[in-house]
Amino acid sequence: MSLEILANSVTTAPDRRSAQPPFVRTPPSMAHDDPGCRGRRQDLKPSAAVNWHSTGRGLEMTSKILRLCGQLAVLPIIVALAATACAPSQRGGGGGSSGEVPDTITIGATLPLTGTESKAGARQKEGYELAVDLANEAGGIQVGGKRVKVQLKLLDDTTDQAKAVNLAQRLITQDKVNFFLGTYSTPLVEAQSTVAEQNQIPYVNGGGASTSIYGKGFKWIFGTLASVENLSLTEMQWIKKQQDAGRLPKPAKVAIVWENTSHGKDFRKGIMDFAKQNAGGYQIAVDESFELDGKDFSAVLNKVRAAKVDLFMVDAHLPDFLTMQRQYISSGMCNKVITYGARGAEADARQALGAKAVNYIMSAVWWNAQLGNRGLNKTFVDAFKSRYKKDPEWYQATTYEAARALFTAISNAGSVDKQKVRDALSSLRMDSILPGGTLSFPAATGGQANYSFVVQQNLPDGTSPIIYPEDVKTGDGVAPNPACKV
Amino acid sequence: MRGLRLPAWLSGRTLLLFAAGLAVLYAAPLVLSMGDYTHNVMGLTFMFMAAALAWNWLGGYVGQISFGHSAMFGVGGFVAARLALELSLPFWAAWCIGGLVAGIYALLWGHPTLRLRGPYFAIATIGVGEATRLVATYWDEFTGGSSGLSLPIGQGPTKYALYWYGLYLLAGAVALSYWLRRSRIGLGLLAIKEDVEAAGDVGVNATFYQDLVLFLSGTVMGVCGGFYASYQAFIDPQDMFSFDRSIGFILMAVIGGIGTILGPALGAVVFVMIQEFLLATYPQLYLGLYGLLLVLVILFEPLGISGLLLRLGRRLGRRPTPGVAAGGIATSSSAAEGEQQPVLESPRPGQGGAA
Amino acid sequence: MGQALSLAVSAVLLAGFYAAMAYGLGLIYGVLRVVNLAHGGLLMASAYLTWQLFTRFHIDPYLAIPIVLVVFFGAGIAMYKGLVRFLPRGAAGGVQSLLLLFGTWLVLRNVAYLLFSGDDQAVRTSYSTAAVRILGNSFSLNRVVVFVIAVLAMLALHVLLQRTFLGKAIRAVAQNPDSCTLVGIDVERVYALTFGIGAALAGLAGLLASTLFAFNPAFGAEEVLRSFVIIVLGGMGSVVGIALGALVLAFAEVFSIYLVPSYLTSAVGFVLLVVVLVVRPNGLFGRREVA
Repeated sequence: MSLEILANSVTTAPDRRSAQPPFVRTPPSMAHDDPGCRGRRQDLKPSAAVNWHSTGRGLEMTSKILRLCGQLAVLPIIVALAATACAPSQRGGGGGSSGEVPDTITIGATLPLTGTESKAGARQKEGYELAVDLANEAGGIQVGGKRVKVQLKLLDDTTDQAKAVNLAQRLITQDKVNFFLGTYSTPLVEAQSTVAEQNQIPYVNGGGASTSIYGKGFKWIFGTLASVENLSLTEMQWIKKQQDAGRLPKPAKVAIVWENTSHGKDFRKGIMDFAKQNAGGYQIAVDESFELDGKDFSAVLNKVRAAKVDLFMVDAHLPDFLTMQRQYISSGMCNKVITYGARGAEADARQALGAKAVNYIMSAVWWNAQLGNRGLNKTFVDAFKSRYKKDPEWYQATTYEAARALFTAISNAGSVDKQKVRDALSSLRMDSILPGGTLSFPAATGGQANYSFVVQQNLPDGTSPIIYPEDVKTGDGVAPNPACKV
Repeated sequence: MRGLRLPAWLSGRTLLLFAAGLAVLYAAPLVLSMGDYTHNVMGLTFMFMAAALAWNWLGGYVGQISFGHSAMFGVGGFVAARLALELSLPFWAAWCIGGLVAGIYALLWGHPTLRLRGPYFAIATIGVGEATRLVATYWDEFTGGSSGLSLPIGQGPTKYALYWYGLYLLAGAVALSYWLRRSRIGLGLLAIKEDVEAAGDVGVNATFYQDLVLFLSGTVMGVCGGFYASYQAFIDPQDMFSFDRSIGFILMAVIGGIGTILGPALGAVVFVMIQEFLLATYPQLYLGLYGLLLVLVILFEPLGISGLLLRLGRRLGRRPTPGVAAGGIATSSSAAEGEQQPVLESPRPGQGGAA
Repeated sequence: MGQALSLAVSAVLLAGFYAAMAYGLGLIYGVLRVVNLAHGGLLMASAYLTWQLFTRFHIDPYLAIPIVLVVFFGAGIAMYKGLVRFLPRGAAGGVQSLLLLFGTWLVLRNVAYLLFSGDDQAVRTSYSTAAVRILGNSFSLNRVVVFVIAVLAMLALHVLLQRTFLGKAIRAVAQNPDSCTLVGIDVERVYALTFGIGAALAGLAGLLASTLFAFNPAFGAEEVLRSFVIIVLGGMGSVVGIALGALVLAFAEVFSIYLVPSYLTSAVGFVLLVVVLVVRPNGLFGRREVA
């Protein structure tokens, strides 16, 4: 009883408190304990808690706990009620499949136009918009006997998973879009794809590369980005050629340093798988992951240096690439082959590090403008340049192809029926600007396109020619790294 | 009521209002036709309301601001997801077990750190949250590492049904909030918040009470995590354990009104609503808007939005109950209009209050 | 052996940067008992300011130090007079100050975001990859310069606190503000100046960070967390304590690669934080503080 009065006096106005002594009455159950001099006031540590140890107190505690349990028992009852109580079930819904061809096909999409991936998101948007514009300029998509225009409904998911999911929900269930084009970055695509799968709507994306997206057995999800495993695989293939030509040692010691994301994991897997398949060719001397935005990589770099490796293979985002490469260069390290995954050839890297520091760095991307002086590529590059006044990069290429694949599948299916279009996507074989020349979504990879990456190397003259695969190369790669005085 | 002067928002009337509100929400989708989208978002909002209330038990009732509650959210979510995946447990069982594990985890790190007061504790929770995130991202086998965990489609409740399960979750959280606050424990918590040593002197077992609240808070947070996992069908550690998520809970509770019951619930609604509306036009402003709201709340209205509502209510002529304390933190001297910040320790002279 | 030595030098250089990060936070907390969560926002703002000064006006980052110090000193005083002044001091105020300054940090983040977009930026000078030889190994010139500046800042701060009247006033206020008014020290003014100095130090740290790392509007969160760890390790008592705390943290992070996989070395700091807070809340080097 006194406890209530105490607490109440504590929560009312301060002037009242000072008028009333803080301790009104000792509660009867604690009469045998002395609330007075505790000696704890002299304790200078941030407030220590009180601990009572008398046996009478112990009994009090037990009864208190029992009472608590009684009161808490209310909760499990609620839970049980909730579990057994039926939540009203969904009224019949699901994607409508109409045989009729509408006047416009509406395609829903989200991209990170703001947030951490805004740069990539803005570029991917250009790809989608170009594809839509080109399709409409040609009069629309041929669906059955009609030519139908396409309308793109693109929203900003601010690089947030929950928003990507919510927006996809909204576009699919409220705005009733016919089809969906995906967002950028693996976690967002992975989260968003579940919505598409649940609602059974065809979902094509050019922004999610991790194999985990496509390894779930989903039927409605298709991706134009080849797995990052192919990135390291393609690089290793070029390396193997150099080994066969005697320019690199065999076996070669490898250091793998990877960012702890699905991107990094796939990168590492590609190398490990290749090493396993080519037993005796590679020795993995260092295998370390790191957290994003590291401040100091000297410990890892030291390990790499001590292991005296031939191949220094890293997968990193731009900030970590900068920090690591700066420390790499200034500590005087040099290896026969250096790669940072997809980093190194882009203008940002040169600008941030200086030309000398990025020399001979090897990188691999999904597509490069240097592929583009013939056929489909030329069409794409020219159309892009005339619209946006700059060269396209892989961001735009993969989304352009994703949209184009969707349009082609709609045409092939001859209808906007979601199931038919999905089947058309599944069996699609389309001429493409992507390496290999043909785009398909094989069931074996769960709907993820599968092709070699394009490997480039930074040369001292400021260019980054494509050095591999053979059929598209524009220059020769250099190995071992001539900058190393070994 | 025991003849006590309880704050307005704890009275029996308000409880009835809450119950009525919950009943309305239960029936709403069956009677009205909301879009699928609104329906689903509301379900998720219920979960956030419950989570904000759970945070509030530690942050508002006990007064220990935690910047690391996403740790329990994530633990609950991943345990529930794993159980659903491996053992195919029914979702509610998975949630409950996930919640319990999260509660135990909270006790593990919380028991030693709850000795600390104020900023020290807050800083420690930041450390806990971040360390949990890093370890979870590294622990590939359990959480899937950076690739996350996917729940199979078709298993578990649909987003449609999750509306009602979210509502049950919310009802449970509200009930717990009332019970906690109105019981002896609640008063003990108030005492602890004011002055833990004085509270000890009158027989409040601070350790036990704080541990209990932490456990409950962690458990409900964990259940919310499980709910989130069922809703999204895909979770990954970087998102579940993120610092931004912890911040979100704090924002909801503080902007809505820390220490009250309506507060965190309102705050969660505002949080979601702002996101939805800003999404359309100014998606890049939401962080700044929350920050501004936070600053305004701390400077001018410590009880946040619910404080504003209470003031409005009083001004609209409801008979002011004598000495109604408007909440856990603020004092309500009806004389002083400009609400002062609670003066819990003698302020160092030479500095004005809200001068 | 050479390897361990090289790592040790790396750790010392890193500690210099960490200490520079922590001074501002430590000073403000030590004197005002306010946890300046906007510290992260100030770091980020300073990095952006340095970048702008460099790209637009071609002022070398290290030469821009005086400009940044002055600007942030003013910003700190403005923040104090506009926001922090209204908070109660002591344990209760602590939590509210946390939230208030945290809100300010969010606003700063948003402003930077609106002005500069979320892309990563970096300051590249002609000497960004230059190297210096120390004890037989090469290290980045930038890191060495940052270390030197951090040491100079520590000395300057020490001199300020021990030798000047303002410093004495600050120390007096930190010990017992009530008595200070009795002896005629304008406590409010001291608070304002301290906040200004703390913000200026944050500005310095941000400038140094911009020469070493890439940054974006979300920059500063990890740095603030690390600063907490350092302050807790080193105790609130002295500048030297902070420097020692920074050393301990840097060594722990760098050398933990021998014990844990390199990914988890970033978790070392946080675990250390919680352990120290629980076991020795006054830090490894701090004195017992009088509440």
